[in-house]
Amino acid sequence: MALRRGRGIATIEYPTGMNQGGDPSQAWIKVKPDGHVDVFSGTVDVGQGSKTVHTQIAADMIGVPYDTVTMNNFDTDTSPVSFGTFASRGTFIDGNAIAVAAYRTRQRLLEVASRMMEVDPEDLEIADGDVAVHGAPERKVSVAEVAATASWTYGEMIAGSGAWMFPHVEPDKETGECEPHAAISYASCVADVEVDDETGEVRVTKLVQVYDVGRAINPTLVEGQIQGGAVMGLGLALLEESYPYYPELSHRGPEFGAYAVPGMADLPELKNVALEDPDPVGPFGAKAVGEMANNAQSPAIVAAIHDAVGVWVTELPARPERVLRALDESRQPRRDGRRVIYDEHLAVAAVSTAENRAEGAWRFPLVSE
Amino acid sequence: MKAVGASLPRYDGIDHVTARSRFVDDFSLPGMLWAKAFRSPVASARIVRLDTTRAEAMPGVHAVITHADVPNNVVGHQEVWGIAPDEPLLAEHEVRFVGQLIAVVAAETEAEALDAVQAIELELEERIPFLDVRNAWDAGQPQVTPDGNVFFYYPDQPQRQIRKGNVSEAFAAADVIVEGVYRPGAIEQAPAEPAAALAIPEPNGRVTIHSTSQALYYSMDITARHLRMPMGMLKFVGGTVGGGFGGKIDTKTEPITAVLALKTQRPVKWRHTREEEMLCSTTRAAWHVEIADAVTHDGWILGRKTLTLHDAGAYMMTSAYACSKHAFHLAGAYSIPAVAFNTFVVMTNHVPTAAMRGFGVTSASFAVETHMNRIAQVIGMDPWELRLKNANRVGDSSPSRVVYGNPSTVSTLLAAAEAADVELPPDERAMTNAKRSGALLPAHLVEQQREPVTHPLVWRDNHPALEGGV
Amino acid sequence: MKLVVNGKERLVAAGPLTPLLHVLREELGLVGAKAGCQHGSCGTCTVLIDGEPRRSCLTPVGAIEGASITTAEALGDPANLSVVQAAFDEHYAAQCGFCTPGMLLAATALIERKGGALERDEVVEALGGHYCRCTGYVKIVDAVVAASRGETGTRAPSTLEIRAAGS
Repeated sequence: MALRRGRGIATIEYPTGMNQGGDPSQAWIKVKPDGHVDVFSGTVDVGQGSKTVHTQIAADMIGVPYDTVTMNNFDTDTSPVSFGTFASRGTFIDGNAIAVAAYRTRQRLLEVASRMMEVDPEDLEIADGDVAVHGAPERKVSVAEVAATASWTYGEMIAGSGAWMFPHVEPDKETGECEPHAAISYASCVADVEVDDETGEVRVTKLVQVYDVGRAINPTLVEGQIQGGAVMGLGLALLEESYPYYPELSHRGPEFGAYAVPGMADLPELKNVALEDPDPVGPFGAKAVGEMANNAQSPAIVAAIHDAVGVWVTELPARPERVLRALDESRQPRRDGRRVIYDEHLAVAAVSTAENRAEGAWRFPLVSE
Repeated sequence: MKAVGASLPRYDGIDHVTARSRFVDDFSLPGMLWAKAFRSPVASARIVRLDTTRAEAMPGVHAVITHADVPNNVVGHQEVWGIAPDEPLLAEHEVRFVGQLIAVVAAETEAEALDAVQAIELELEERIPFLDVRNAWDAGQPQVTPDGNVFFYYPDQPQRQIRKGNVSEAFAAADVIVEGVYRPGAIEQAPAEPAAALAIPEPNGRVTIHSTSQALYYSMDITARHLRMPMGMLKFVGGTVGGGFGGKIDTKTEPITAVLALKTQRPVKWRHTREEEMLCSTTRAAWHVEIADAVTHDGWILGRKTLTLHDAGAYMMTSAYACSKHAFHLAGAYSIPAVAFNTFVVMTNHVPTAAMRGFGVTSASFAVETHMNRIAQVIGMDPWELRLKNANRVGDSSPSRVVYGNPSTVSTLLAAAEAADVELPPDERAMTNAKRSGALLPAHLVEQQREPVTHPLVWRDNHPALEGGV
Repeated sequence: MKLVVNGKERLVAAGPLTPLLHVLREELGLVGAKAGCQHGSCGTCTVLIDGEPRRSCLTPVGAIEGASITTAEALGDPANLSVVQAAFDEHYAAQCGFCTPGMLLAATALIERKGGALERDEVVEALGGHYCRCTGYVKIVDAVVAASRGETGTRAPSTLEIRAAGS
């Protein structure tokens, strides 16, 4: 028995927003007479922190402090459409809708301030809750004063609405040609593992992860996505399966424990880096990070297992039984001329019977053909 | 002070740490009933007899609903994309997976509802389930749907396919052809908070639904279609959810509680047990991916052919979407000039599969990246070098011919090498994401190059969405 | 029967086999303890019974007559957070917040028991049975360690290294 160490690498890309687009988000914003900003968005915060990130976007786009903005995303009577919190679209697509609404709210504040100050709106700017004249920062009124004047003196409302959508595209039937996503994010992951070659147990000791997120609107929340994604990726690589004898239905785990999820004790050392290559369309340059955060670990871990003990486990999860089986069988790829054929026993050709394949009017194309 | 770029406190941080954040199950109302589900014990069967009479007479029971109580029982999660509806909210003449909803009870207490569920009588004619996606076209297999076991994207073409470049030439020119099979398994989204809904009939005929949905409008649309009610008659309340990871797109608790609330004119709450989450609600799909790559001795990938079988489970849910998305990402973060990808949605008698974090691409990333590592082993090349050479760069084009404007495969790789103390040779360390030229532009990559789309936009000042008025 | 809940004596009508979780949530209106799995495998329903962290979903009320129960609602309020609550907020240890009340109570009991600075492996051992799907646990462990050392009052800096992407 020996503990063997190995290291593996993987690089991935992931789209922002729904594949083929067509997933709208909308937002609207009003400013209370005391200058407080209320943002309305149909986005669901599933814990990733969209309420926080969207508040940050609105605050900066308007030019008011973060703590003077409320985020209202609690019902469909008050909040406009968000297609949903999925497809890594919250920061980018909902965020863009909020940014547009905030931009228009800012324009309204500038218009009203311009009348109050008798200064051309182009000569005004808003920052830290004050509307000031370019180059003469002492000539200013507060957003609160502008909002109060709009309400009580001019009898007007300060509000803005916005929407954003990457329009729907249909892929070409023959070639698939189309531009299916609003942006692409990238990541690389290096996994270090220890494999016990007697028990087949794999322990991930360290994950080094680099994500290009365009712009980290809230670095700690980005880090939260990367840390949470790392452990989820570790789970799908090594622990989790809904059907332990897939495709058979037996022995499904009805609870935590019988269904193995990563716990605190599985946590490896993590080193996380975010690269910022601002996206030209995303809000303040941001693009997706949430979903991709569990995609790079499993191939890196499987490569590390190979590096450690010389076997490829290509059915996930790589639980001890599979690692031991792979070690016992130590399958080598079949070589046939130029062809190097791995996993032949798993392929469609090996399972689907030859006579059936010949009879059918149509069949799955074999990759080797 | 700028908010963007700062690690500002979580908007809901104090609510969370003082246990004041309100999740759906934390709301209760006077007179509220509890729902419990009666589900299929088998993976495939014809329903011979379903009798809820005894259950209806049990203590505390206010209603037992079956498919006949749902105004529009069969709805699809992808109707918005033109995919025909196929999912009964409550089973009609057959069941197609273990745990499929057949009937739901609303009673004064959760315990009374559970007792009543156990009094429901069901007679089944069991069938052999179809489980292995690899047998989907074989003669004599059980048929999951009346239309067979394979979904058709087009009337005459079942697969989503991607074609680019001359694949036969690429394979003819290859020094080595590397083939492999990748099978990531089905897993649970397993958010800490189980799915729950609380439907409240309002005096004006509207229904308010507290929902754990990840997508309030999307779930409201599905619920409105089940109820045959305009969306204006519904009000979804939510937005604070105890984790989703894709599992809370499956919209079942909302229409079920709404039907019960309308029938009983009482508020009705239903919260999934953990068993229901694990065994009966959607999972991430199991995938079967075969890859064959045409490779040169010096580490260029000339072409790639793939076959993907996506295990959709018993109903379509969002599988057609997932399998399409998967197809666009089978080249990974690399520039491969000739590809032929075939991806199929295969119906089985597993629990319907749906979204989970990385939807459709997690499987592609695992397959592609493991295959890359194998190629490196076969040709005896360092896996970093193989990746850095083939990494997509500005002006390269994707399998669906998207021209990469700002790819960062090379920069994430180099940053990862540095962070992991991997010593790369100087020529690799000097690589960038910039447009290919010289040794990095071999003949086979010339034709796929395009003029990179230049984005002259400065985001804040002239964003296209900002044109026009309110 | 009687229970002392967050310092106040409460009369409970539910039968003796009713899980404490249901009594707290449905009878007493204290919804801080969550029904994450209802059979003791996730930790979201954790409360303190006479100071010890216990799974309220597995505790029949009849077995704890007269006991003193502490739920997350009693730890502190927004204007006066407990050390553990402050540490969880400052370390961003809650994402969706569903596992947080149970984590907070288990951490509070652990810190009380240890009475001094905790090491990371001690936290993992004591809180290892608490499930969290969002955070990857890193910031939770950070927060408990910091709370045990009394290191609160400032927001924890991000450990994410941010660099401009070279192109």
